[in-house]
Amino acid sequence: MKLRVLAAAGAVGLAAVSVALAGTSQARKAPHLTVFAAASLTNVLPQIDPHGRYSFGGSNMLAAQIEQGLPADVFASANTSLPWQLHRKGLVTRPVVFTSNRLVAVIAHGDPKHIGSVQGLEKPGLRIVMAAAGVPVGDYTRKVLARLGMSDLVGKAVSQETDVREVLAKVTLGEADAGFVYATDAKPVAGKVSLLGIQKSAQPQVLYAAAAVKASTHLQAAKAWVNKLLSKPAQTKLRAAGFLRIPH
Amino acid sequence: MFAAAAIALGFLLLPIVAIFARVSPGKLVAQLSQPVVTDALVLSLKTSAIAQALVVLVGTPAAYVLATRRFPGRSLAVVLVELPLVLPPAVAGIGLIAAFGRLGLLGGTLDALGVQVGLTQAAVVIAVAYVSSPFYVRQAVAAFEAVDPNLVAASRTLGAGRARTFFRVVLPLARRGLAAGEALSFARGLGEFGATIMFASSLQGVTQTLPLAIYHEFALDFTTALAMSALLVVVSGALLVALRITLQWQPSKPTSRFLFAPSR
Repeated sequence: MKLRVLAAAGAVGLAAVSVALAGTSQARKAPHLTVFAAASLTNVLPQIDPHGRYSFGGSNMLAAQIEQGLPADVFASANTSLPWQLHRKGLVTRPVVFTSNRLVAVIAHGDPKHIGSVQGLEKPGLRIVMAAAGVPVGDYTRKVLARLGMSDLVGKAVSQETDVREVLAKVTLGEADAGFVYATDAKPVAGKVSLLGIQKSAQPQVLYAAAAVKASTHLQAAKAWVNKLLSKPAQTKLRAAGFLRIPH
Repeated sequence: MFAAAAIALGFLLLPIVAIFARVSPGKLVAQLSQPVVTDALVLSLKTSAIAQALVVLVGTPAAYVLATRRFPGRSLAVVLVELPLVLPPAVAGIGLIAAFGRLGLLGGTLDALGVQVGLTQAAVVIAVAYVSSPFYVRQAVAAFEAVDPNLVAASRTLGAGRARTFFRVVLPLARRGLAAGEALSFARGLGEFGATIMFASSLQGVTQTLPLAIYHEFALDFTTALAMSALLVVVSGALLVALRITLQWQPSKPTSRFLFAPSR
């Protein structure tokens, strides 16, 4: 019994020491910023800043984590509404729009189910995945489907995923027949999936906005990091990854 | 020494206290009538019930064989049965997709039969059964091993058949160990998250169990997430109490005093 208590106390003690160590080493060196970023930025942000520490996920999940006080320095969202919500609550600086994207439907490579076009997704028996409402790409998907007069697909989806990467994974794994993702997500897996384009008139305005988290211990560096996203090298890398110019 | 015990206990209890301290109990209860909560609760109970029925039906004879028969590779089999116990749930999720997914090992066979398990309720049941069954089986093996072989032999000598001996002698003697194993298995299955979200995904009313709904609601409404967490704390606590009572009931012949009795 005594041994067990000792072991438990030891574990707690070790954890406390390691937390303390992590704290001090962080404070001394030049800041490696912690960036909470939309899952669709997974490939491109580490190219722009390889020293950042990233947590990628659904923007709404990340916003909830920032609201609960998780120590992020920067928030980069796949929409403008979430960073603005946090800004109005006084949690982040004024959001900066830094890039844009568009939606596509991905299907199995070579279209074995003969879907043909986005309209073909109405075919019965297809297993369609999308992101949940509240996740930016999930909201965009609902907008697109409403504009195409295909909102009934929302109720037929076999899964409501928590971020765009999960949607893509379900299609590349073959678990789903089709899913709605950003064009930039489909690009790196072009050999595994085929695309169904979505006409321009149905495209929602997909804007990415970033903001510095006010509670950050490196607020100045975080602000600079956000502004750097607008710099020429960063924009070139975004463009190379398939992201679009900010529409004026 | 006592300070260390207090620290350990405080560390373990603080997150649980925090769940209840954040929002008033009335508000927590009010959240529980939301469809996202009731759907998840019904689904969790349903999939758990099916999974645990399968675990008991298949696991009990399997454990009996492992406990009583001596055959080459038996110790290896006992170890292998316990492997999912120490496997990270994410690994279980990947494994299940690699095995039962459409492009997985059995995917082609299942496809030919017109069956797809990924993203369906069947996938939830498989994930839950996969991660929880070792808890039952290892405990059942220990319980069966603790049954005095002389009693079994006596029953056989007195003319009872194998089946009758099993149901009238072995099962009653092992029942508390079996119940304890099943309680642990149920608790682990109810909390299953990682393998489920990867293999079955998350769709309200179809595959979204309580833990998945908590994760989903965290991004939307923290209070609802808290309410569901509180619900699971209560259920898990009740299971733990039931487990202690089961184990201490009838102190005359304890089959397995500890939850994790070594299965030799």
